[in-house]
This record gives sequence, structure tokens and C-alpha cells, in this order.
Amino acid sequence: MVACGPRDADVQADQGFRVALLTPGPISDQSWNAAAYEGLMRIRDSLGATVRHVQTRTPAEFEENFRQYGADRFSLVIGHGFEFQDAAQRVGPEYPQTVYATTGGTGTGANIAAISFAFEEPSYLAGVAAASVSRSKVLAAIGGTELPPVRTSFDAFTAGAKSVDPSITVLTAFIGNWDDAGAGKEQALAMIARRADVIFQNADAAGQGIFQAVRETPGVWIVGSNADQNALAPQSTLGSVVIDIPHAFLLLAREVRDSSFTPRVVRFGTASDVVRWTPNPAAPALRRDVQSRIDSLRRAFADGRGPALAPAP
Amino acid sequence: MLELLLIPFLEATIRTATPLAFAALGELVSERAGVINLGMEGSIIAGCLGGAAAAVLGGSAVGYLGAALAGLLLASLFALFVVRLGSDQIITGTAITVLGLGLTGTLFHLAPTMVGVGATLPTTGPVPLPLLSSIPLFGRVLFTQPLPTYVLYVLVPIVAWWMRGTHAGLALRAVGESPVAAAAAGVPAARVRALAIGFSGIMGGLCGGTLVLAQVGSFNENMSAGRGFIAIAIVVLGRWTPYGTAGAALVFGGAFALQYLVQTLGLALPYQLFLAMPYVLTLVLLATLHGRAIAPAHLGR
Repeated sequence: MVACGPRDADVQADQGFRVALLTPGPISDQSWNAAAYEGLMRIRDSLGATVRHVQTRTPAEFEENFRQYGADRFSLVIGHGFEFQDAAQRVGPEYPQTVYATTGGTGTGANIAAISFAFEEPSYLAGVAAASVSRSKVLAAIGGTELPPVRTSFDAFTAGAKSVDPSITVLTAFIGNWDDAGAGKEQALAMIARRADVIFQNADAAGQGIFQAVRETPGVWIVGSNADQNALAPQSTLGSVVIDIPHAFLLLAREVRDSSFTPRVVRFGTASDVVRWTPNPAAPALRRDVQSRIDSLRRAFADGRGPALAPAP
Repeated sequence: MLELLLIPFLEATIRTATPLAFAALGELVSERAGVINLGMEGSIIAGCLGGAAAAVLGGSAVGYLGAALAGLLLASLFALFVVRLGSDQIITGTAITVLGLGLTGTLFHLAPTMVGVGATLPTTGPVPLPLLSSIPLFGRVLFTQPLPTYVLYVLVPIVAWWMRGTHAGLALRAVGESPVAAAAAGVPAARVRALAIGFSGIMGGLCGGTLVLAQVGSFNENMSAGRGFIAIAIVVLGRWTPYGTAGAALVFGGAFALQYLVQTLGLALPYQLFLAMPYVLTLVLLATLHGRAIAPAHLGR
């Protein structure tokens, strides 16, 4: 009890800029959650914020932690995923002095923002690249669970691949969670047995198994997602569909700190360079015509003239 | 058809069944001594991290040793509470599992790059056995596997023989049926239970070691993903016998492998339906395989 005293006093005296992050999984995944934590660290370093991170698994935990940071009068609380939307909608109105943001989703409110990434745009480019290197004309996409942004991204990947060659097949599967790397590997091997030779993975920690399957199978390419995963299997990675989550977090946090924040869906597309297709520098260069096609598509997305894709919710 | 569907399916069945069979065989021995080891999941995840860390230090053989010891460590804690202090098995086992998952996560955060994502652990890939692996169809499926699978081929008959044909095996079963009667017959019931739990911990650790060193090649949090609980279901489905348990592990491995395969077929059905398949299968098998209940009489007490 004694130890609590000074801390409470600090909180009362210093209502400095404080930011909390809730991730749905471990921040050691070198993907979705790791990038969010990196963003939190950048907010701390660039904006001098006091930061907190907590890993949450269930909707009940989402709400409880949202509530706790609201009661603690944090300036900004980020729920890192589409799945945090409902909790933000329920808790947000109770703590109007705190800004709640969810990564993904469309729900907004007086103090609630949704950060939305046009992840489908670079996913489309990845599909074009994947189709151009595939010999078997069978591609695969493996996700953790079928969250709407993941589905949208896979659909865009498929559309990109079919824009190169309509006869291409894209097989899609979900592991059912984001942890079971063993299942990730087996699902990837099942895809490879069905002749898939490029696998687009979006399974966070379970994706480690997918990388391992590809490492063990020469001639099969993998496309990473969320973070730049090109270094995880330099010999086998075609490229990564990157969301620069740290940059997006920093932009949002700056708004909140400067009180210039307006509740809305904050959308980051190709134009902002927050989402991008990052080819693996260690992979052989794509055919010249494919590369110029990708470049011109990228410019088209940046100008809002790209192929029509269902936007990520 | 054979190349594209059947062989990959059978190979995946054996691969998926291997770690499950280790855990289930351990759980079986523990349960035959009357102890439900719900801490199995904790031993498995401890084996994952212990195996990864030890392999970094001393190669894959040391890795498996580290995995077994890590599993044993958690099981010893379980044994201490359950056998020595007489704590409730279910509550203690659950606590051990939660402890294992939490502790491995915490330890992992201390040095994530060493054993986690991007780490290059010494893995033990498939080793084709001479002659046997050239048998058509089954050679490739059964005898082109990583070493832990071959260990199981030997271990299952040994456990079966030990349980049926030795005094120690008889003592184990006696304790599971009635510790009091066993003690009256001069069997040191507490020690038998403690040893049985220790064995189950080693097997759980090897399950984790297999996952990391023969399959995934790196550690990640919660990668045990419920295999400890599946192992418990396998023992029930296997009717508390070694061969039954091995068979039930294969059934589960097959159900998972079928699930992976079906998802590649591009059927217009919700994927959750396929994910539920192994569990639905268990329910159906448990409900339809008739026969008398043969759980050890003193199980869980």
C-alpha cells in the first residue's frame, strides 16, 4: 500500500502524454504484434510518452483493459486489431477524456477512431508478382483466422494473380488460431503437396511453421505479411506485404498529443506509403515487364485510380 | 491421385501423430497410476522452450535431452503437490499448465532472437531408413520420418510389454486400481505415482522437443496449442492401453491431416467446419465404440 502512494501522486501531478497498447498476441511474432510494439516504442521515443503494453486474449480482457486505462486517464489506448472494435464501442463513451483507437475496423465515436490500412492494395501487387514466378499456376494463401481484413487481403492477392493469368488457382486455408506453428507447417506442406509454389502467409506466430515448410522445400516461394519478413527466409521469400504500423501509430499519436485529433476512420493507403509491397532484395529480380506493371499499378493505387478492390473493413 | 493426395495425407498423419503419441503415452502411464496429469500441456510447452534453448547450446541431441528435462521439471512440481502434499489433481494440473505457458512466455521474452523467429536451430529432418524406406507406399510413409517417430515405433511395444509383463508394470496398474490394496501388498504407492508422473513429464517434454526440433525449427509462445489436452482425449479413446493409445494418436493425426488436406480442395464451405473435424470425430468414436468402461478405478483421486 505504501508503495502505491508515490505512484498515485505522480499520476495526479503529471497528466503527461500516456499511451497504452493492447495486442491480441505475443509481441515476439515478428509480424502484426511485433510491429505494434515497435510503434509504441516509437511513440515513447519520439513524443516522450509514458507507455504501457498488455497482451490480451479474450473479448472480456479487451474490455477490462480498455476500462482500466480509461480510469487511469490515459491519453490514447490502442486495441491492435479488428477484434477490438466492439470493446472500444462499449467502453469509449464511459471515458471521454481518453482516445480509443482500433487497428482495423470501421467503428468511430466521439473519442473513438479506427485505423484502417489499404492492405489489399499491396496484396494485389503481391498477387501479380506471385503469378509471374509460379510454374505450377497454383498459389496458396494461409491465414490464422478469417478476420475480415485477412479475407480482403487474400481476395486482392487472388485478383492480382488472376489479372496476370486467369487460369491461376489460389487455394486458401486458415489454421484456426495464430499460435500453432506446427499446424501452420502442416497446412503449408498440404498446399505444397497440391502443387502450390507460392504461399502468401498471414498467420503471425503460426506463420513460423509456414516459413519452415518453405525453407525445407526448394522451389517454393513465400510472401510475408504485416512486417518486412524478407530476412526470415532470404532464399525463399519473394517479398512482403508491409504495413508500416509504427509510422501509422506515430501519426495518430501525434494528432492526439497536439489535440488536433478528430474521430474518424484514419485510412492509410499506398499514397501514404504506410502500406507497401516490399520485394526481397535477395530474390531474383522479376521479369522487366512484370516489374513495370507492378510499378504502374502502385502509382495508380497512390492516385486512387487502381483496380477496384473491396476495401479492408 | 496417389502422389497428390494419399501419400501426402498419410505422411502428414504420421508427422502430426508423432508429438501427440509421445504426450499420450506419458499421460497413459500417469493415468494407469491413477493420476490425471492435466499439467501435460505445461510439460509440452516447457519441452518446446527447453528443447530450443538446449539445442542452441549443444545441438539437436542435447536439445531433446533439454526438452525431456524441462518437461520432467514441471511434472516434478506437479508430483510434489499431488503425491507429497495430496493436492487436488485437477486444480494442480491446471495450475501447472498455466504456469508452464506463462513461464515459457516470460523466459522467452528475455532472449527472443535466440530461439524464436528467425533463429536457426539445429533441426532433425526426415531420415529414410535403409531398405525399409524403399517398400512401396508404406516405406515412404512410415520409414522416411524424423528420428522421434522411430523412437516411438520402439517405445510403444516396450511400454506395452512393461505394463503387462513386468512386476513394475503390475505395481503401476495396481496403484491405479487401488493404492490402499497395492500398499497392503507391499507396493510403494506414492513412489510409483511420482515415477509415473515423472515419466509423463519426460514424454510431454519430448512432445515439445519434437515440435520444435523435428517440425517447426523455432519456438513461439503457446505453440503447444492444446496438444496436452488432446493427449488426454487420446488416452480415453485408446482405452488406457499402449497400443490403443498409439492407434488413437494415429486417428487424431489422421483427422488433423485430413483437415489440412480438405482445406486445400477449395470447397465452398466454412473452414471452421473442417477445423472441428478432429473433435467431432472424437465425440463420435467415444459415443459409438462400445465396451465396458475401463478407466483405472482410482483415476483422479
